[in-house]
Amino acid sequence: MPVLTINGTEVEVDRGTTLLKAAAVAGYEVPHFCYHPALSSPANCRMCLVEVEGAPKLMPGCYNQVNDGMIVHTESDRVKRARKAVLEFILVNHPVDCPICDKAGECKLQDYYFAYDAQESRMRAEKQHKVKVYPIGPRVVYDGERCILCTRCIRFCEEITGTGELTLADRGDKAEVRTFPGQDLDNDYSLCTVDVCPVGALTSRDFRFKRRVWLLTSTDSVCTGCEMGCNIHLDHFRNTTERYRPRYNPAVNDYWMCDDGRLSYKALNEGRLEHPMLNGAQATWHTIAGAAASKLAAVIEKNGASSVGFVISPQATSEDLFLAKMFAETAIGEGVRLFINGNDPGSSDELLIRADKNPNRAGARLVFGGLDGVGDASALADALEAGELEAVYMMGTELGAARGRVEAGLDDVGLFVLQAAHQGGVLLDAAHVALPAATHAEKRGTFVNCDAVVQTVDQAYPPNADALPDWQIFMKVAGAMGHKLPFTFLRQIQDRMFEASEAPEPEETATEEAPAPAE
Amino acid sequence: MEEKYLSRHFGIDKAYNLDVYEQQGGYSTLPKAFAMDTDAIIAEMKKSNLRGRGGAGFPTGVKWGFMPRDSDVEKYLVVNADEGEPGTFKDRMIMELDPHRLIEGCVMTAWALGLRTGYIFVRGELQLAIRRLEVAIKQAYEKGYLGKNVLGKGLDFDLYVHSSAGAYICGEETGLIEGLEGKPGQPRMKPPFPAIVGVFNKPTLVNNVETIAAVPFILEHGGEHWASMGIERNGGPKLYGLSGHINKPGVYEAPSGITVRELLERFGGGMREGSDLKAFIPGGSSCAVLLPESLDAQMGFETLREAGSSMGTGCITFMDQTTCMVRLSARLAHFYHHESCGQCTPCREGTGWAYKVLNAIEAGQGTPDDLALIQDMITGIAGNTICAHGDSLVIPVRSYIEKFGQEFEDHVQNKRCPFPRWRKMRNTQRMSA
Repeated sequence: MPVLTINGTEVEVDRGTTLLKAAAVAGYEVPHFCYHPALSSPANCRMCLVEVEGAPKLMPGCYNQVNDGMIVHTESDRVKRARKAVLEFILVNHPVDCPICDKAGECKLQDYYFAYDAQESRMRAEKQHKVKVYPIGPRVVYDGERCILCTRCIRFCEEITGTGELTLADRGDKAEVRTFPGQDLDNDYSLCTVDVCPVGALTSRDFRFKRRVWLLTSTDSVCTGCEMGCNIHLDHFRNTTERYRPRYNPAVNDYWMCDDGRLSYKALNEGRLEHPMLNGAQATWHTIAGAAASKLAAVIEKNGASSVGFVISPQATSEDLFLAKMFAETAIGEGVRLFINGNDPGSSDELLIRADKNPNRAGARLVFGGLDGVGDASALADALEAGELEAVYMMGTELGAARGRVEAGLDDVGLFVLQAAHQGGVLLDAAHVALPAATHAEKRGTFVNCDAVVQTVDQAYPPNADALPDWQIFMKVAGAMGHKLPFTFLRQIQDRMFEASEAPEPEETATEEAPAPAE
Repeated sequence: MEEKYLSRHFGIDKAYNLDVYEQQGGYSTLPKAFAMDTDAIIAEMKKSNLRGRGGAGFPTGVKWGFMPRDSDVEKYLVVNADEGEPGTFKDRMIMELDPHRLIEGCVMTAWALGLRTGYIFVRGELQLAIRRLEVAIKQAYEKGYLGKNVLGKGLDFDLYVHSSAGAYICGEETGLIEGLEGKPGQPRMKPPFPAIVGVFNKPTLVNNVETIAAVPFILEHGGEHWASMGIERNGGPKLYGLSGHINKPGVYEAPSGITVRELLERFGGGMREGSDLKAFIPGGSSCAVLLPESLDAQMGFETLREAGSSMGTGCITFMDQTTCMVRLSARLAHFYHHESCGQCTPCREGTGWAYKVLNAIEAGQGTPDDLALIQDMITGIAGNTICAHGDSLVIPVRSYIEKFGQEFEDHVQNKRCPFPRWRKMRNTQRMSA
């Protein structure tokens, strides 16, 4: 393997490594705009120029590869002068409208300007004017003047999605990113172009002007839009989730996530079940647990556990499902009818979108030792129509196409306990007891994705209003029924669960194992 | 007067027709070339000291030697006929007046290096050249000089004319290759060089029109004969395009190593009456400007480098005392700004900015800081770009400021251009940014 010296530090890297990556190994960040670790390197921004002893010109670190014995300087005066010149050139026609730019605060151009340039503009002439606020696609807006023409978005659409909607039109300082005639930037991953954009040229129409990014707090989480479980930064402000951004994980989603998943954050904020409800009236946890327990106990005593339908959710975390299992086995008892609800299958593709639109069916399978005897939502509807159930205890509100039939059937049951984060429309009206649950933004837990990767979500903020994590609700109700479940902390549940299910414990996320190459 | 080679047919009526070309002895060297093998031909080319005529002056024989020899790999010939440098107009003469010379050179090159397909990438504005080439290629196909089994020697060679869209940057060989592939003309990063990864990612030989047109003579008379018409490391006669404030502007053939003075006086007819030579650009607009004291410099790549400029395309522009050097540099900056492909930052933004500042100085709106700014700015462009387009602005502008700095300072101090005639023209001639 070639050994080279970078700023006096000797490093040994694989043949074919670029100077930029080798410098990262030596502990030096080489600033760059157009280079992205998941995309090809056109070397067009010229920000990553480094000095190689013996070479007449500076070399782009993202393109040139290491040679044995190379002596590289990434912080020499010559390199610094070139960086400063490149930044000044980029800013020649840049509008510098940071105060109204959504990217401000997470903009590479801003960061690099302060780090490597920090001089007053010497440009006195009129700047080049280009297209502003151009709706380049249904979810993305383009600002030609802010664009630094790094072509990351173009390469993303060519190399990752393969859709190739974007191109560079015109030349020189009039060049702009455009779609081909008759096309929109409308692929399933179009919002990733906003992530890869190093400046504020591409902005999300959903997030535009919503929040200054430095007000957001970011929590590591997982998208619940499908069973892929793309890793995300969950960005929130005052206990409200404002956006998802993909978080690098080479084992799952690399740097990307789909638009549907990204916009699924809205469900965290809308239509929430806020308070415990008893027969349509607001109640407290103090009264509701006892009410739910006594009603449930009465049904079980009268008709047996087999008249109770217990519906688990593939949207719930594995810990919640583990408690659901214990609850069903101890508080309801042998013979309980198990069902699993969830969203209906949808579209899928080769990249990240999976057909099963639930994040944790694999987790449910592990916790329950398979789901063979567990009926789906339409089986639940069948059982309701046949009058086989006296009581239904349901987690979550996702019922898919069977929703109408289930809702109709619930009118006739003697007891319907709804334990969910959302009101679920008619479901709340039908519920005799409604128990507000926390979303995955409001609690810790694990999901198991379609490739059996066990992934942790962190609590971003405390549960909304009176909501509690599902596992705590199960403990309350079970306790009121006289079955004390022996847990105080989530970690205790996890210990028991991983012991019981023989599932691998969640690995520390890849971002912590090895530093991801800087985007 | 010496024997003519490259311009031999320029004065002959309808020499662009195959029958006239054949009467003059055209295509008669082909059998001789076909009797030689690759090594022999490359050896002759190396002996000839022929340097690439497109501007960079790379030894042609050495370039040919870089082409891979394995016969089963698809390899391409590309003739760079995208002649667009301001002040350069020699290749169009060959294509318009003697297109079969170029075709004959292509066939020989194809034979030498085992190339199956060739493209002549012609600048879109050169409509006559394109038409003449197309007709000539059709005639050559009919006579069996192109196509399957040329002259029964087993060479299959197809030749096509590709009309460019008129972008200067497509004269850069990798920009040309991108354009030929139907993509925007944006130069590629090098290495890899076209000899390894060229058109359609296959090995490709890119040569200038005049370079290829010289091949039949070199193979006919031998490399040593060609080298004898020149100086050390610069062989053979060459077409020189003379323009500017001279009596007889035009394209003239003369040996390599001829002095600029001889070209000006013997061929160009000297400066016009009332004109004194102020400066000259020896090889197209991207070369550094030279003062009259350098008139005795020889036209060769090394000799002109010693004189502080470069040979470029060998097309010389002579300027008299009425030329405003600030205006000239602003006009050049305008050109290089307009033609910048927009791919990499320093050239894309720097050329436009340089134009704006130079234009402001010319218009009398410059400040004393502007001169330092320009120097600083072009230093930021120099060498930091993907291709040489940025440097093509840096080199001349730097030389104008170096040699005519006082003129720039006068513009700034007096807040006006001291050349009234030029100022008038500025109002009539649009120079939009």
